[in-house]
Amino acid sequence: MKLELNIHEVKNVNLAVETNYSSNILSVDHNELRELLLNDKRFSSIEIELVHPGESCRILRVSDVIEPRAKIEGSEDFPGALSQSGSAGYGKTCVLKGVAVVLSDYTEEGRFGRDLDGELIDMSGLGGDLSPYSKTHNIVIVPYPAEGVSKNEYRAALKFAGLKAAVYLAKTAINCVPDTTEIFELPALTELAGSTSGLPKIAYIFQVLSTQHGVVPGEPVLYGQNIELIAPTILHPNEVIDGAITCPYRAFCGQTYTIQNHPIIKELYRRHGSEICFAGVIICTAHHNEPEFERTASIASNLAKWVIGADGVILTKTGGGAPEIPLGRTAQKCEELGVQTAIAMLHMSADPTYTKFDYSINFNLPRVNAIVSMGSPNMPFVLPPMERIIGRSALQDANSRDKQTILMWIKGACSQLGESRITLVPY
Amino acid sequence: MSDNKLQIIHYLNQYFIGEGGENKADMSPCIQKGPVGLGRAMQKSLDSNSAEIVATISCGDNYFAERIEESTSVLMDMINSYKPDALIAGPAFNAGRYGIACGTLCKAMQDRFDIPVITGMSVENPSVDLFRETMYIVETGDTVKGIETVIPKMIGILMKLINKQEIGRSSEEGYFPRGPIINQQSERTGAERAVTMLLNKLSGVTFKSEVLAPKYDYVPPSHRVEALSKALIALVTDGGLVPKGNPDNIESRGATHFGLYSLSGLDSLPTDVYEINHTGYDPTLVLQDPNRLVPLDITRELEKQGVIGGLHETLYSTAGAVGILENEIRMGRELGKLLKEHGISGVILTST
Repeated sequence: MKLELNIHEVKNVNLAVETNYSSNILSVDHNELRELLLNDKRFSSIEIELVHPGESCRILRVSDVIEPRAKIEGSEDFPGALSQSGSAGYGKTCVLKGVAVVLSDYTEEGRFGRDLDGELIDMSGLGGDLSPYSKTHNIVIVPYPAEGVSKNEYRAALKFAGLKAAVYLAKTAINCVPDTTEIFELPALTELAGSTSGLPKIAYIFQVLSTQHGVVPGEPVLYGQNIELIAPTILHPNEVIDGAITCPYRAFCGQTYTIQNHPIIKELYRRHGSEICFAGVIICTAHHNEPEFERTASIASNLAKWVIGADGVILTKTGGGAPEIPLGRTAQKCEELGVQTAIAMLHMSADPTYTKFDYSINFNLPRVNAIVSMGSPNMPFVLPPMERIIGRSALQDANSRDKQTILMWIKGACSQLGESRITLVPY
Repeated sequence: MSDNKLQIIHYLNQYFIGEGGENKADMSPCIQKGPVGLGRAMQKSLDSNSAEIVATISCGDNYFAERIEESTSVLMDMINSYKPDALIAGPAFNAGRYGIACGTLCKAMQDRFDIPVITGMSVENPSVDLFRETMYIVETGDTVKGIETVIPKMIGILMKLINKQEIGRSSEEGYFPRGPIINQQSERTGAERAVTMLLNKLSGVTFKSEVLAPKYDYVPPSHRVEALSKALIALVTDGGLVPKGNPDNIESRGATHFGLYSLSGLDSLPTDVYEINHTGYDPTLVLQDPNRLVPLDITRELEKQGVIGGLHETLYSTAGAVGILENEIRMGRELGKLLKEHGISGVILTST
């Protein structure tokens, strides 16, 4: 499967009477975009805001961030979600770099110890330094739920709106000459094994969804469907980065943007052919009940060992602390089958404010002994006030107050998929 | 001995000053001038730092362990007669009593005279957990094998302490983590490091996990409830059930205490009285019927039928989300003690 990304480096974005892309400037007719998104009757109205890097601006209740992408040829835009049928991962895709669609969830509530204003993006200041999404021009979509629409219906609609907006924006550049192109190509495993003989075969086990907080029915996750009940399955890595998977609600420290630019998949591609043979991706769901996660661990490890024939696997997790158990069990079953493992994960149960305590994780499994720390998401921060507030705030005077938060609620500041350089260091 | 050299005292046990092994473990504290045994290798490493081991003090391992306060006091007097700039103890490797002596002496010097101290132990030495938060303990092997890599680490950290220079990460300097944890920027992304770690593991190259597994205590199961029909049973949960408004301020993540709520006069837990204060799960089903989390309804029935002797009239509730293991161990011990005081012989502990 071969995928070509045609990448356009967007230098600036402005609101205009016509949506187009020229000389690396994206102009957006936000009224046209609003009309397009208001076709969804689950919304009563929609605010569309444009923010730029360096602005004194805070975006609240951010539920997802999406990179604008549209297919030029080959497979479909977010197949299953935006089209009834179709596939992802091949042909050419137009990518707008430096721009992001940001979704602000009107219904998000700060319950269970979560921040009342949800996850945030600051476009400048300390919060800006910590998040990659302070460096993108952001088109923020803030829809209001129509009367009688439930939270879950609204949240599913919100994701669809984001995907539609991402395609709408990127379509402007389909006929433009890209600044750069990137090729992602991997043949079928049977061909692959011969051409890379002698190199270790490495697969990636990608925990996509956690069921611990419930799932949003109707929300697109894999080819338009939610995956609460799936068994682990093998995907081509190109499918993952080209719109087959979108980030589920409450993934914590994960966004569709990160999946589109999946750090682990890109790293395995980078080393493919020289250091490793990139042997494939297994996706799975982190269930919170033992019979379900035992089944997942068995199937995923068997796929890695007996179907893909992997020598080693990388594993990552999603959600909070509960998915560490299925993650650890899957790694352990791989090790028992002779497939070696390395994990990259956040230190959920480490609290840097309790310095006298050990930082820790939820499992202790003898052979699961190669774990990369991507930092403690609980590190506290106080962010300075921002003049402009986008999204529904719990406070009337949000723009004149310091914001107390933790790293985890700063969107993109820490990553479950290996994107960040943060690591928790014991002294 | 030139005056401008740093004056360092070295502590070794009876074996490492060449007196003998277990048969000499009752040796009383003693002192001799200059470096002895391993101290000579230490001295080589100290030469370039204008530092000198002026005396070596020693004590038998049993003598010390049996008279900790007395031995410490005698040894401190010996050390203090030199007014030294620093103390090196051991390393004690995997020797338990020797580790206690090294740790105790270092701590005493640090506390009373505020001078830099350094020691070394193997990961198996129980004194690592007793002392690592208060001092730098360099990781050694189980025996003296490999000492040539340990000495430069010990001297390196000691000199930094003397010169008030910053001590680097535990993994780089080779000491046991002392407690503080700090988010820092790595040169490479998590993805790059994970793939490199896997390739090292596959090819047998040494790698170091950035996350250490927790150490779990082994908790022997309690004996079974002998006569259920006479047993007093308590309900305990970590599912975050609290009265509305969370009057005891149970933390929704990283909880530090239990709330105690009366079950007196209730046949089942009513809805609309409780809320779930827990960051880790979807509470929809529990809010519909709290008895799904805390099975008061069925337990009352069993009480009425005489299947159990009685139901303890207090519910103990906390939130088991993003828990810090040390907190949880303490809370478990406190709760266990409390339950025992109430004569409870069995607990239904529901978790989420």
